Order: sequence, then structure tokens, then C-alpha cells
Amino acid sequence: MNSDDLAKKLAILADAAKYDASCSSGGAGKRSAGKGEGKGLGSLTGGTGICHSFTPDGRCVSLLKILMTNYCIYDCHYCINRASSNVARARFSEQEIIDLTMNFYRRNYIEGLFLSSGIIQTPDYTMEAIVRIAKSLRQDHHFKGYIHLKTIPNASPALQEEAGWYADRLSINVELPTSQSLALYAPQKNLNVITGTMTRLDDRISEARAAKKPARYIRGGQSTQMIIGADATSDKGILSASVDLYSRFKLRRVYYSAFSPIPGGGSALPAKPAPLLREHRLYQADWLLRFYEFQLDDILMGADGDMLDLNLDPKLAWALRNRQMFPVDLNRADKSLLLRVPGLGARSVQKILSIRRYHALRWTDLIKLRLPTQKIRPFVSVLDYSPPVRLLEKDALETIIQPARQLNLFENAS
Amino acid sequence: MQTLSIREKPGFTEWRDLARDLLQREIPPEQTLWECGAQGALALGSTPCAETREKAISSFRVSRTFLELCELASRHQDDQRYALLYRLLWRLHHEDRRLLARATDDDVMTLARLVKAVRRDAYKIKAFVRFREVKNPHGEPCYVCWYQPEHYTLELALPFFTTRFRNMRWSLMTPYRAAHWDGEALTLEDNPDPSRYPAFDEVERYWLQYYASIFNPARLKVKAMSGQMPQKYWKNLPEAALIPELIRRANPTQSSVNPLRPARNTAPQRESETPPERADPQSIRPSGLRAAKSDAP
Repeated sequence: MNSDDLAKKLAILADAAKYDASCSSGGAGKRSAGKGEGKGLGSLTGGTGICHSFTPDGRCVSLLKILMTNYCIYDCHYCINRASSNVARARFSEQEIIDLTMNFYRRNYIEGLFLSSGIIQTPDYTMEAIVRIAKSLRQDHHFKGYIHLKTIPNASPALQEEAGWYADRLSINVELPTSQSLALYAPQKNLNVITGTMTRLDDRISEARAAKKPARYIRGGQSTQMIIGADATSDKGILSASVDLYSRFKLRRVYYSAFSPIPGGGSALPAKPAPLLREHRLYQADWLLRFYEFQLDDILMGADGDMLDLNLDPKLAWALRNRQMFPVDLNRADKSLLLRVPGLGARSVQKILSIRRYHALRWTDLIKLRLPTQKIRPFVSVLDYSPPVRLLEKDALETIIQPARQLNLFENAS
Repeated sequence: MQTLSIREKPGFTEWRDLARDLLQREIPPEQTLWECGAQGALALGSTPCAETREKAISSFRVSRTFLELCELASRHQDDQRYALLYRLLWRLHHEDRRLLARATDDDVMTLARLVKAVRRDAYKIKAFVRFREVKNPHGEPCYVCWYQPEHYTLELALPFFTTRFRNMRWSLMTPYRAAHWDGEALTLEDNPDPSRYPAFDEVERYWLQYYASIFNPARLKVKAMSGQMPQKYWKNLPEAALIPELIRRANPTQSSVNPLRPARNTAPQRESETPPERADPQSIRPSGLRAAKSDAP
């Protein structure tokens, strides 16, 4: 690897891959190279994987995330690489991808490879190449790092299932939350085909786990991504789709990607980017659903036109609609209620539960725990503090508890 | 007043032996003065003899968790760490055996903060080490890195490297200690020579290209990046040299206002011909709470 040509390809094919939000290298358990004959490279540490760097967009660099090629026979309106787009094109050879992965890994730049691709010739032709690369990394180079493969929609089931033997995670993007939107913007893709693939892979994963001698098959599970704000689907529609995906196919993650207009994207698409704040609110809601015992109805009940409030995080918005639940006595409330207090994260809740076994919490304890006291002030009571009633009743509550800091976070992004 | 001197880096074992002895002799923390890395005779007379040590062990046991936390905290740069650890030990013994559960106790909080900083620092080694390839005299590839951790955390990261890069030869050099792996065994070396860190690696340019290309300029969030990768780590990272330019290009309207604080002490030395300066870890400024009173008398 020593040509400018390779650097140029890398520039194009990394650039084209950055619209995939996933950078996770976790959830696939532990693994490491064996001692035998000095063969093999790499390990999985268990847990969430390692972020090896961060770019100025605040995102973690954990995997070598590239497309095999950005040539594509499909013409999905929202996609920068669609057939009718006039972006610069490139294609890696299979060996180049393998060399880059091994060389980057040896220098401790990355946890592994995230390989996706535009579709060239046929879906099967493309998927075969992706599978060959992963297979060679595993079998010829004994690579034990993380491999995340993007499965190509419409590729044959046998190829997709084979990919599962080499990959720690497989993903297939639903792209848009409804089949109508998909028909409109990605005419060659079909939601039933995509969910069909998810079902089959989920079945294979279950089989492998249930086997007498459980096989290592896509240990990191499946994930997917939805583009937000390219179509008219409401937040309720998006979150319902997510709940559906999590429960039906046991997806590990649903990623949300705010639509941003691309050159010559066609008149069917909005001219303006979707606010990044909307994407952020959806992630917050997603978290509440998965880790905070919230139900979809809790989050969207009373919401305006089935949309999350951009100005308030969804937990705070829920609290304001349910003021009768507050203040919550931090010394007595059970865990599920503590999790509902705006400003208390799962970790803080754990600490509160632990401390109060030994002594009753006072206000100074909250300060020492570095809780956002300004934000939780109206919602909690402790031994020596309870909020004045007017604090909860005041119409201007929103302005009191809306921390200015949070807005600043998005200053640059808007 | 008892003056206790800890010479090792990190000095957990020494501290443990001294602390057992002090506890056995019922010497309260107010009457101890702990020094790190000091040379000299001040410690004479406080060396525990084997006999009292045995007694101390049998008379008082602490939880394994506490010892593990002490081991971690002893790796922190903070000068007050040994005094803190002895005070905690004393209080566990005389005041409350369940002291550690009181998460808002000042000493327990300080311990938690030291441990957290050390764990984070050890994690960052695993994340931020950037090997460069050289050939050894037999023509075999070796991977070498010079890395400056904030605390004495090299040893904590070694199991990760010996597992992941088991079948490679590598050297991981930090200012206070280096670890060399030959594919089978680990050799440690104190105060290694950083000039052995190669100035060039032919693959690194592709890494820089990748870093610049995977960045999405439409979503500039400098604060989010700096939270995870503060500037104090940039000196270890070849790609960090690209950051100011990437930000400037992403946000030309604000070019007059650099969103980053003017870099103190940065300008990563990685690309220069000269080797990185050898830094004495004692000269790395402690970020700690009750920062630096000098170690030396």
C-alpha cells in the first residue's frame, strides 16, 4: 500500500460511508487470537468496544468505515451515491480493503471493519464480494477484530446468511419508516424484503444460540438506520416503527440520521435539512423506551401533532404533563419512579438507592453527587428540602428549568 | 510525626506494607506525612518488620474491593493519594466498616474521583496508542509507540495489548516505564529512551486521510469531541494535528473565532525529525484536586 491512488479512493469511499451513523464495536462478547504458530490478530474486549479517536463532529472513530464502492445501480433519492448523482466514484479491490484493515488494526487505530457498498452489477455480485472480503479476513488472516457488514437488500438469502458466519454485526437499513415512503424515494427497495431478511437472520441467530454447542453467529446482533425528515412521517410514526423493529427482530440498535439535502436530490425531497435537534430528541426517546421503562404512550401522550417537543427533552416534557406525580421523595420513591425524574440518569438513581440505605439524603448530597440541581429542583424532595408549590405550578416552569447550556450544544449544528 | 516515603511508581505494595504497620501501631493519620518518590533517609525507622506485619494482617481485614480501589488510586499523580488511602483505612477500622457505601463522604468521594481518573486514563491508553512500524535487525516488523499517560497506568493497559497483539512484536514506551513484547513474554524497562520512537510510518498517511474523510463537516460539534478527547491527549495522536484545519474549513464563517482555546503546549511534535522530549512524569502537571506540593523536600 503505497500509492496516491489508494489515498484518493480512501478519501472518496470513507466520505461516502460517513452517512451511516453506526460506529459501535460492542455487544459481541469476548474473543482473542490463539497462541498457535504466531497466527492471528486481534481481540474483542467485551462490553462496548473502544473509541480510538473522535472527529470534530463529536463522533467516535472505532471502525474503519468504508464503502467497497460508491458506484450504484440503484437510484434512491436521498442517497448521495445514487445512480444519477454525479459524485466522484471509486472502487477498492478486495485486497486493498483487507490490507487497510490489517494495517490499521496493527497500529491500534481501529477495532475493526465496517464494510458497506453501493450495488454494482447485481445485488448478489456485490454481496458475494463483501462476503469474500470478510471470509478472507477471518480465514486467511485469522483476524479476530470486529467486523460489521452491511447486507445488500435483494441479495440472496444464502449469501446474507453466510455473511453472518464472519460478521459480529449485520445491518440492513430500513432507510424510511413506512413502505409508502420507501416506494416513493427508494423505488428499488422494498420494506417486506428488508424485514424478511431481518426475520431470517434473527431465526439463524436464535438457532445458533439454542444449539447444543452454541455457535458464534452474529453475536453483536442486527442494527438498522432510518433517515429522519426526508418524508412526512411523524415522530410517533418513527418511534412506533422502532418499537416494532426492536420487538419483532430483536434489533440491537435503531440509528436515526437527520436528512440533509444533497446536490440534485430531486424535487420529491425537502430542500431543507431536518433539524439535528429532532434526531437528538428521537435518540432520547429511544433511550427512555429501552432503558427507562417508558412506554410509547408516555412519551407521545399529549404531544403536539405526534411530534416530540424540540425545545424540551422528552423526559422533561413528560414530567410537565404529569406534574401531579411530583415532587418525588428521593428517600422513599421506588426505582421506576426515580428513573422518571428529569435530570436523574440511571447511574445517579443507582447511587441514590445505595446511599439511602445508610443515611437519608440531604440537599448537600445532591450537590456532591453533581446532579443538575437547577433542573431537578422543582421535581424532588429530600430530608431538608422540598420545592415551593409555586415552582411546580408556575407556567414559566419551562424557562426556569431549561438549561441554557443545552441549547449551546447545538449552536454550531444549526 | 511519622514520615513515610514511597519510592516505587506506582507504589501500592509499599503503601500497603507501611499502612499495615502504622495501623497495627495505632498511629492516626494526622500523625503521618506521606512522600512520593523522595530520596533519602526520612523513611528510616518506619520499615515494618515481618512480625508486626503478620499481626496486622490477622487483626484487621479489609475488603478486596477496598484494596483494588487503593491499587488504582495509588496510580494517580496526586501527591495526597497515600495520605488519603491511609485515612480511609483508619476510618474503616475505627469509624465505620461500611464507609465506602457512603458515596457523599468527602474522603470516599475523593477516592472515587482518583479511581475514575485512573480508569479513564488506562482506557485512553488502549484507545490512543498509535504504533509505528519499524524493522528489527532480523528484518521482522516491530510496532513501537511513545505514549504519555497522565497517571501511572501503563501496567493496567498491558493485558489488553498482550491479548490483542499477542502475535506481534511491540514496544509501548511511557515516560516512567516501557513494556516490550516479543510474542511470548513481556519485559519492563524503567525510564525508556523515547528516541527509539520512529518519526515515520508509511501507513499513517492513510489513517490521516481516513480521519479527515470520515469527519462530517455538516455536523460540527467541537465540544462533544473535546469532551471525549481533551486537548491534553492530543500530543499522543497524529490525527489531532488536523483538527484545527478541519474545524476551520467546516465553519468558514467563524474563521475569526477559533472555537478551540489557543493550544498551550500542543503543536504535536509527531512529524518533526526530533524525538519527543523525554518527560519526567513528575513534571507532568497533576490535574489533581489538591495539586502539586513538590515531592522533593
